[in-house]
Amino acid sequence: MNALHPTTPRFNANVREALENKNLQTAMATAGGGFALKRAAARSAMPEFDDIRDAARDLKNHVLANLGDYLEAYEEKVLATGGHVHWAETAEDARAIVLDICRTADAKTVNKGKTMISEECGINDHLAAHGITPVETDLGEYIIQKRGEGPSHIIAPAIHVTVPEVDALFRQEHQHLPTDRTLDHEKLQAEARAVLREKYFAAEVGITGANMLVAETGHSVIVTNEGNGDLTQSLARVHIVMASIEKIVPTLDDASTILRVLARSATGQDMSVYTTFSAGPRRDGDPDGPEEYHVVLLDNGRTNMLGTEFQDMLRCIRCGACMNHCPVYKSVGGHAYGWVYPGPMGAVLTPSLIGVEQGGNLPNASTFCGRCEAVCPMRIPLPRMMRAYRAQEFEKGLTPGTARRALGAWRWLASRPAVYRRVTGMMNRVLTGLGRWRGNFPWMPLATGWTDHRDLPAPEKGGSFQAQWARK
Amino acid sequence: MTARDRILTRVRRATQADAQPQVSEEPQRPVPARGMRSGTSALEQFIVEAEKVHATTSRLDSLDDLPAALAVELRDRNLPAAIRTGDDPSFDRDWGTVERSTGPGRIAEPATMTRAIAGSAETGSLVFASGKTNPVTLNYLGETHFAVVDATDIHGGFEGAMEAVRAKGLDSRTVNFVTGPSRSADIGQVLQLGAHGPVALHIFIVGSA
Repeated sequence: MNALHPTTPRFNANVREALENKNLQTAMATAGGGFALKRAAARSAMPEFDDIRDAARDLKNHVLANLGDYLEAYEEKVLATGGHVHWAETAEDARAIVLDICRTADAKTVNKGKTMISEECGINDHLAAHGITPVETDLGEYIIQKRGEGPSHIIAPAIHVTVPEVDALFRQEHQHLPTDRTLDHEKLQAEARAVLREKYFAAEVGITGANMLVAETGHSVIVTNEGNGDLTQSLARVHIVMASIEKIVPTLDDASTILRVLARSATGQDMSVYTTFSAGPRRDGDPDGPEEYHVVLLDNGRTNMLGTEFQDMLRCIRCGACMNHCPVYKSVGGHAYGWVYPGPMGAVLTPSLIGVEQGGNLPNASTFCGRCEAVCPMRIPLPRMMRAYRAQEFEKGLTPGTARRALGAWRWLASRPAVYRRVTGMMNRVLTGLGRWRGNFPWMPLATGWTDHRDLPAPEKGGSFQAQWARK
Repeated sequence: MTARDRILTRVRRATQADAQPQVSEEPQRPVPARGMRSGTSALEQFIVEAEKVHATTSRLDSLDDLPAALAVELRDRNLPAAIRTGDDPSFDRDWGTVERSTGPGRIAEPATMTRAIAGSAETGSLVFASGKTNPVTLNYLGETHFAVVDATDIHGGFEGAMEAVRAKGLDSRTVNFVTGPSRSADIGQVLQLGAHGPVALHIFIVGSA
């Protein structure tokens, strides 16, 4: 996957490859339902959780309804602390802004804290193409950068990588270390810590994302567990924050509302280890901290979502609860989705940001079980928006011919009750007859997608529900 | 027209359109019961929550007891008798056998110590504010991070901690909420302490609530 070259249009092929990838399936099985169980425990430990979700939803609705005013208030505060604000309409604009800042700083190396906006803009490739080395410092991001991959989960970017794969990778990448060393979880982490510790002191520029931007104070906020985002921004001479425009919260107390649902929904922690509020460059006399502070405010399609049926998606705080509870995501992992955002959030964000022509496949990858909406801390109606994109895909003639013809035949049949009853009754009798010995079908033409993996049950005797109802 | 103007114009056009469903009111900010304790009760809760996230704690009657307590902690952890701190006036005292150096964090720091401006009992979090005498890097570069907080600065929830942040104004470039030592589960989804920040966090709580 590359942000500029999404593989989303070949989603179906991606899924087949994912299901056949033994390492991926092992990694996804290892991850299991850990996040979901931890979230449930954290939710039970705070009885007011659902009330705070409601408040968080209302808070972001309030922000979106007044976004222009809040953005201006935020900008004013950043400027007052000596920071710079850069407005980027597109990913291309953001790439140019970041490169320009790095060149002005004469940067050879740029450290990165975890930032999905940077992934969305393809910053790493752009810097590398211009002779600047980007170094991912989040442990999971470091692993996938070395593997030449993008993240496969919003908060656990290397969730698809098994421990033996990390072992092999580190032996290949860290050749200055003894080849006969033994490595386990703890030693692998310590090794990455030691390697990256040196990098923090070498980089001229540090790029982080932002979980929130506080209009009251001009703070950008990052939430992490590793401490890499803090070393990235504190040790480099220049700190760049990459944030999208909807990350605004009005006040510090509103940040508290979001913090109370964020970590609980993401990892099941009551609070992530590090929540850092940054505003401007180091102050006069400060012994450390960056000398320059830049915020890149990215639109990249978000203003097109405002005021539409997809506006609710802009409440998303990127906790990942939706994918942690999604049966499709848990089966195929994140890379199959083909762009930056996987899982149910990706099924809405991808067509919203890169167009239904490229991303229209993803809303089809849902069982509509509704768990994503049920666990979303911002109460985003993800299934409703996926249905809306399915409708758009159909209306634009992007749905494959077979599916269109099948849907057309279904519509014809379903809108003629008498014919419908006769046809389904006939099919029912045929299937009941054919399946009466085994009670199920191990193979069925046109339904091998089902029967390749499990038997299809034969209809129960006694006819369809409608037939039984009519006899009553 | 600049990019800024174009973005703000699109934002305003969209949010003033008839399709805009929610006309907003001031946000509600519910506080959970776990964030509403005070005094001794909040202090006890702070200790429980901090230890739940793998921090350790000890109580001191006054800052005068800090050098001896630190020496014991360093010895018990098999750390060198040395500490890196900022120029915070509360650390301006006789450190006895412990060698104290001051300044920002360096690439290898076995032990650092910083002064917190507040604590939040709700989650066992400490709040640090960077400044001339409080280098931010000391919160992250120590293998073991020692933190000092006054019992009277421990609030029930985030709201009290945020008030402390507000009181600082924008004097500090960074305000850091720290909840336990650093950790990651990025390798095999197994949680390990000590990612890029400290492997251990010990909190000296000074005085009574």
